[in-house]
Parts: sequence; C-alpha cells; structure tokens
Amino acid sequence: MLRYIAYRCVVALFLVWVVVTSVFLLLHLIPGDPAELLLSQGSIAADPAAVEALRERMGLNEPLWQQYLDHLGGVLTGDLGASFRDGAPVIEQIATRLPRTLEVIVAAALIATSIGVPLGTYAAIHANSFADNVISFFASAALSTPVFVVGTVVILIFAQQLRILPAGGFVPFSEDPLGHIQLLLLPAGTVALSLLAVITRMSRASVLEVLQRDYVRTARAKGIVRKRILRRHVVRNALIPVLTILGLEMGTLIGGTVLVEFVFNWPGLSGYLVAAVDARDYPEVVGIVMTISILFVFLNLVIDVINAALDPRISLVRR
Amino acid sequence: MNKAHRKLILPGVIVFFITALVFLAPILPLADVREMSIPSRFAGPSASHWLGQDEFGRDVLARLIWGGRASLFIAVGSALAAAVIGTALGLLGGFFRGVVEVLTVRASEVILCLPLLLLALLVVAILGAGTWPLIIALTILYTPNYARVVYSATLQVRSLDYVTAQTAMGAHPMQILARTVLPNIMPPLLVQMSLVIASALVIESGLSFLGLGVVPPTPSWGLMIRAARGAMEQQPLLLIWPSLALAGTIFTFNLLCDRLQSVLDPRGITGGGAFWLRKNQRKTVENERVAEPSTDALLLVEDLSIVLGREGRDTELVRGVSFKVMPGETRAIVGESGSGKTLSGLALNGLLPDVLSINGGRALFSTREGAQVDLTRLDEDAFRSLRGREVSMVFQDAAAALNPVLRIGEQVGEAIRAHKEIDDAALDERIISLLRQVGLPDPERRVRSYPHELSGGQRQRAMIAVAVANEPRLLIADEPTTALDPTIQAQILDLFKTLMADTSGMGLIFVTHDLAVVSEIADRVTVMYAGEVVEEGPVADVFERPRHPYTAALIASVPEGDADRLIAIPGTVPTPKDLPPGCRFAPRCAHAIDACTTHSPEAEHPSLDRRTRCIRWKDVT
Ligand code: SF4
Repeated sequence: MLRYIAYRCVVALFLVWVVVTSVFLLLHLIPGDPAELLLSQGSIAADPAAVEALRERMGLNEPLWQQYLDHLGGVLTGDLGASFRDGAPVIEQIATRLPRTLEVIVAAALIATSIGVPLGTYAAIHANSFADNVISFFASAALSTPVFVVGTVVILIFAQQLRILPAGGFVPFSEDPLGHIQLLLLPAGTVALSLLAVITRMSRASVLEVLQRDYVRTARAKGIVRKRILRRHVVRNALIPVLTILGLEMGTLIGGTVLVEFVFNWPGLSGYLVAAVDARDYPEVVGIVMTISILFVFLNLVIDVINAALDPRISLVRR
Repeated sequence: MNKAHRKLILPGVIVFFITALVFLAPILPLADVREMSIPSRFAGPSASHWLGQDEFGRDVLARLIWGGRASLFIAVGSALAAAVIGTALGLLGGFFRGVVEVLTVRASEVILCLPLLLLALLVVAILGAGTWPLIIALTILYTPNYARVVYSATLQVRSLDYVTAQTAMGAHPMQILARTVLPNIMPPLLVQMSLVIASALVIESGLSFLGLGVVPPTPSWGLMIRAARGAMEQQPLLLIWPSLALAGTIFTFNLLCDRLQSVLDPRGITGGGAFWLRKNQRKTVENERVAEPSTDALLLVEDLSIVLGREGRDTELVRGVSFKVMPGETRAIVGESGSGKTLSGLALNGLLPDVLSINGGRALFSTREGAQVDLTRLDEDAFRSLRGREVSMVFQDAAAALNPVLRIGEQVGEAIRAHKEIDDAALDERIISLLRQVGLPDPERRVRSYPHELSGGQRQRAMIAVAVANEPRLLIADEPTTALDPTIQAQILDLFKTLMADTSGMGLIFVTHDLAVVSEIADRVTVMYAGEVVEEGPVADVFERPRHPYTAALIASVPEGDADRLIAIPGTVPTPKDLPPGCRFAPRCAHAIDACTTHSPEAEHPSLDRRTRCIRWKDVT
C-alpha cells in the first residue's frame, strides 16, 4: 500500500512536470510573437516599442532553454511572476482564492456522490422499471445542460422567484458562517448537478454489473440480510469504478467552477482566471492554469489512494 | 433493421432538422438579427415575432437560429478538424508503433492531463476571443480523443490476417491504411464525433457566455444567455429560449452518441436489476408449511421444473426432476453442461437468476426443528433464514465466488453472524477453528488475507468454510473441483469426505460432470440429460450396469487408468429451444429406434432403487 502511494506520487510529479512543460511549449509553439499577439487588439497593430518592452519583461529575449529553466524554477519556488494589471505577485492572489475554489469543488463532489450513488443503486436494482427510466431521463437532461445555464436558471428560480437563497456573492466563513454556507449552496449545487448525473449513471451501470457477480450470489447463499449484502458486497465493490470516473470528471468539475464562480460572483481562482483572460494578463493566466492543473493532478492522486484503500487488488497492479 | 437501429431514427431526424434549419438560415424568411426596435424591448411572443423580442427589440427566433448556426459551425468545424488530425495521428501511431506512436498518440494525450476549459481559456488568452481562435482551441482539445480511439481500433485491425497479408505482399503502408483500416474504424469515429460535437457545444457556449468566445454582434446561444441574465427579472423567457435550444441540441447529440453506441455494441442493452433486492416484491406464493406426513428423507424433490421467462412463452430448461437425499447421504448429480444440473442445485437454494423461475414440482426439506418446508414456494425472506443455516452452497469458481475486497475472516464471519448472536472474541475463535477444520494452513494469518492472496485450492477451502460455518443440514456443492488442477482436486474431494464423515446427518448434493469424481465420493447418482433425469440409482450399481444408453456412453468416455483418450459421445446436448421429439437423447443414441422419436419415454424402474428413462433399457444394457 505505502509503496503504491509512493508510486502514484511519482507519477503525479511526472504529470505536474508534463503540465508545466506543455504550458511553456504551448506559449512558444503558437505561431507569432506572444508579446505582439498579447498587445494587438483585433486588427490594430501593436506599438513596436511596447512589444519590445513586453518581450523584455516576459524574458522572451533570452535563449529558449534559459526561459524554460526560469519557468521551471519559478514554479518550484512559487514565483509565478507579477500581474500585468497591478504588478502584484500572482502567487498571492492564488493563495487567497484557491481555498475558495477548492471549497466549491469539494462541496459539489460530496453532494454529487452522496446523492448520486444511492440514486444510481436504486435505479440499478429497479432496472428498466418506470423509476429507472425517470432517473435515466433526468440524468441525461442534467448532463446535457451546460453548467452556466443551470446556474442562471437556478438564480432565476431560487433567488428571484422564490427568494429563498441569495443570488451570489461571498462572505468569509469566519465572519458569518451561516451566510457563508447559504452563499455556497447554490454554486456548489450547480456544479454538483452534472457530476450527479455522471455519478448516478455510472453507479447504475456499476451496480448492475456487480449484481451479476458470483460473490453477490455467495452473499445471498450465506443468508445475510439484504441491507448488508447491498452495503458490504454490492455498493462497496460498485464504488470502485465510480471513484475512477470521479477522477476523470475532475477536469469537467474544475471547468465547471470557472463558469459557476462567474455566474455567482464567487471570488475563487476560476472566476479570477476569467478576468485574467479577459484582460489578457499573461502571467496571471499561466499561473492560474498551472495551479489548477496541478490541483487536478493532485485530486486525482487523492482519488487513486482512496481507491487503493477500497480495493486491495489495486496496489498490486503496476502498469 | 433491429430495435437498436430503429432507436437511431429519432435523434437522427432531430439532428438533421437542426442542421437543416441553421444551414438554411440565410434563405429562410427570418427577421434581421441586428434590426433593433427600442420601443418594443422585451416584447413577448407575437405574430411577427414568434418568440418575442430581446433587450434591444431584436427578433429572438431569428437570433436563435443564427446563433445556432454560429455555435454549430464552431462545434462541427472543430470536431471535423480534430477528427482529421486525430485520425491521422492515431493511424500513424497505431500502424507504425514505436517512436511514431510516442510522437503522435502519446504526445497528444498530454493534453488530456489538463482540464478542457482551462486549455481553451489559455488559447483564447493568447489568440484573443473570436470564432477562429475558438475553433483552433477546440480542435487542439479534441484531437487526442480521436487519436486514442483510432489508435486502439487500428491496433485491432492491423493484426487481422488480411492486413498482414497485404503488408507481406508489399503494399504501401499508406494504401493499406486507406483501404482497410479506415472503413473499419468508421463506426467508433462516428460515436466519438457526436460526443465531441456535444462537448464542443458546451465549451463554445460557455466561453461565449463568459464573453471570451463568439464576439458580438454575431448572435450565439452563449451570448444570448449572457445578455438575458441581466434582464431576467423583466423577461425570463429571454433566458429560457436559448437555454432550451442549447440544452436540447446537446441532449440530441448525446442521445445520438448513446444510441450509436448501442448499435455498435448490443451487449450494453441487456437488462438486469435484482428482483430479490427490491423491497416490496410481489410474493408469488403463500409461504406454507407442508403438513402432510412424509418420508424420513432430508430432501425430497419431486417433478421440479424450471423455465426461462416469467410469463407467457416460457422455455423449459429443467423438466420433472425428482430425487431424494437421506441424512448423511451424498447424492451426485451428473451431466454435461446444459443438462440442467447446476440450475437444479441453485433452485434448491432459491438462487436462480431473475429470468428463471420454478414452475412446477416441489422440494420438501425437513428442517432442524423437524418441520417440513417446500423449498420451491419460499420467498426471499423465508429463504434467507434457511440459507447458510439449513441449506448451504459451495460454488464452482471460488475466485469469483469470494468477494475480492473483503478479508477471508470477514467473509466467513458474516456467514456466522447472519444466524447467530456472537461476540467478537468468540467469533474470531470460531472462524479460526473453521479455517483449521477445512485445512487452510496458518489460519491465524489467513483470516487477514484477501482472496487474491490465496491459491486456488486455498480459496476453495475458504469457500467451504463459509458454507459449513453454521453446520448446515444440506450442503449443495456445484462443481467444486472443476476449476482446480488434479492434485488439488483430490485434496478437496478428501476434504468433502472428511466433512461428511465428521458431521453426522448432513446431506451432500454434489453436482459435477466428472464420473470419476462421482465414483469417488457419492452414494447415489442422478444422471441428467437436456433438463431431464435419465437415470438414477446407487453409484456402484449404476457403474456396474448402466440402464440408460447415455450413462453407458458417459462411463465409456471416462479415461481408464493412464489412457487419457476420451471416447466422446458424438453430437451435442440439444438446446432447450429445439428439443428433439420423443427421447431427448435419440439424435445421439446408438440404439435409437423409430419409437424413440415418437414418444417421450417415461421413467421406469428396472429394480427397486433404480430408475431409467429409456424404452429399450431391457435390450440395450
Ligand atoms: S429411448 Fe431410445 S433413443 Fe432414448 S435412450 Fe433409449 S434407446 Fe436411446
């Protein structure tokens, strides 16, 4: 188990390196001079002096390998450069905003799993029944509705029509715990919805498969009560592929927070990214993209480890 | 055209309709998308503006269709571009492998390490917003998906004989790729395509919504939702229309993808579920205690029949099976696969799959308390209290029958806890003594092992420990030695013999296809063929003088001594759907006469404790 975790950590570190490197490459592989691209507005050509100044500031005049090393070194030391807009170190903004985004993601994942797994299990047990068809339909519908549509409609319903929850905003937990949770509810629920659909579907398929397994029949043959068969044998085993899917869905989930933070004015990292992209504040964008990608790798690592704890066979498999 | 194909029609037609609508937008009689009319801001639906007017008084319907045109143009365009590039990469990687694979497929997969939307934002940050940057970003995003699909399909195709043959004949690799590989990978590509279009629509509209995608005044669904957000209170309809259009279109493409997939892979459609787990399942029959005075038999099975399909047109898989098991007796049920022997065993423990059911006969079982219950009439709850305690089962493949993620100790322990209140210390003690009893080496350590840490023989021993944990009165063993190699087989058989010797009064039903095992372990044998009992009697008698041609043929096919040559019976067991008329063995029987194919032979008794289902038993044996 420990060896397995160590192994996964090494893989995760490798992935982080891949991410950092590919972000660097992407910048240099896109045709044209990044400085010029960044300063141009539509068809208006950029001022050559300004381009030259920006090139200097971005270190574009250095040899490529030097730039790459600086880039790597920057990531290692947490120095992600200074914002074009206000000159503040990018890392500071990231440090304050990252926890808020994480909060949304974790809350959404919790909501989605705690509803999706029972729902999918129920649908599987009652496969092809009316209830199953209804669940399947809503899952498909939820999957097909982009998160910002859900968010906007949710505001329309809960904040404007029913007036039971605030439309958006943020208060720190330390100042107003109840208000904080109220404000968190809608964004987290919105992000959770499509994930909920994925998890429900996956749980259904997974439980259906486990139900056909011989060990479920063995459990019945022992005369154990239904509830225990369901909990210990069916759901326990069905969770393993569901968790793997959760890991794969992390990308969508993080993408979802970008839109949701924008919709609900949640001052997290992802919403900040939108502003940075809008202003084409290059160091900010690169810093945030890298942070989130590393977060993505890390969350997957966590899921791998949970999975290994659930399934003793996994730690044996080494690919 | 089967059901799966028919189901393609609906999403196919809708996709066609949407595509036609946006394609024909320039020639449709639509209002000008830019024509504003401030006085009629937020006007509701009217004859000239079917879906109403937006915050500048522009026609919503026209904007919806033109917006769809922009969205679909970007989604389909990038899906196609990614398809071309991804397919090329995948083909090259899959066909040449080695360095080429690393440079194409693996390199593109790096993109999958990053969250999609972020990557799109990164590209937009560099290139600026607009239609073309979006297409470039989405193309980059989806290329690896295609590369992956095409790569694995190519790997499969490339090992096919005719492809190898063409390579050997010196055809140019590019020719081979174009001619053989491409047509073969079309279906998975189509699935991928509809999936990518749906996903691209999500990302495109998301970016446009953020103001980082399509640039106004070009209408786009994302932009329309963005604008409607500010005016939600005056006119919620403005939000609803583009939302519906967007979600509906994505839904349709997802549906198309699902249905394409089920056409390509029909296995996915199979139903399932678990009737036994449903809460208020219909109780098919009253639970009743059979009062009639009866035999001293532990189990008396009479005329048991099992059918496939719950109602209506059933297929009979097992017909009229009768046998009995006396306390302390070992009854073997022997037959080829398809003879119904395993189903009969499962039926006695109420473990038939949902699609099968018992539709006739009875199985009287005398419980520990001396009562008699009919096993064919119990519902799940009534059976539960018997299972493990009174009737227990050992399955064929212990590797599959043990739960891979639970420790052996827990799996044995829960069997005990299911029927007995017992404290932890006593439970542990009991588990270890059970494991010792079944001959598992080092039981103190083994309780903490997972099934995959045991050998095949050890797993079967653990399985047996589970089955005998509550000292059942009847043990049903379904081919418990088949999956094991010969030396282990012998050990497990010995274990069964020891168990039978040590436990007084336990009956054993041993289901097997192996006559050698039968002669080794059983007192009496029931021979089954095509769902029927063809012969039954004491093992020694049956072996000495089989009274049915099938039994005789089975015995002849057992390798004797070192000779490992089997005299196989020609032909195969008929399937339940097309049983021959008359005697079910007739097509394979060397003694068949005309009468055999006209009447089903009845069971006859050559002697007091023998039975055979052959009209010619007197002549042929
Ligand atoms: S009834 Fe006829 S066909 Fe059937 S086993 Fe006897 S001899 Fe053969």
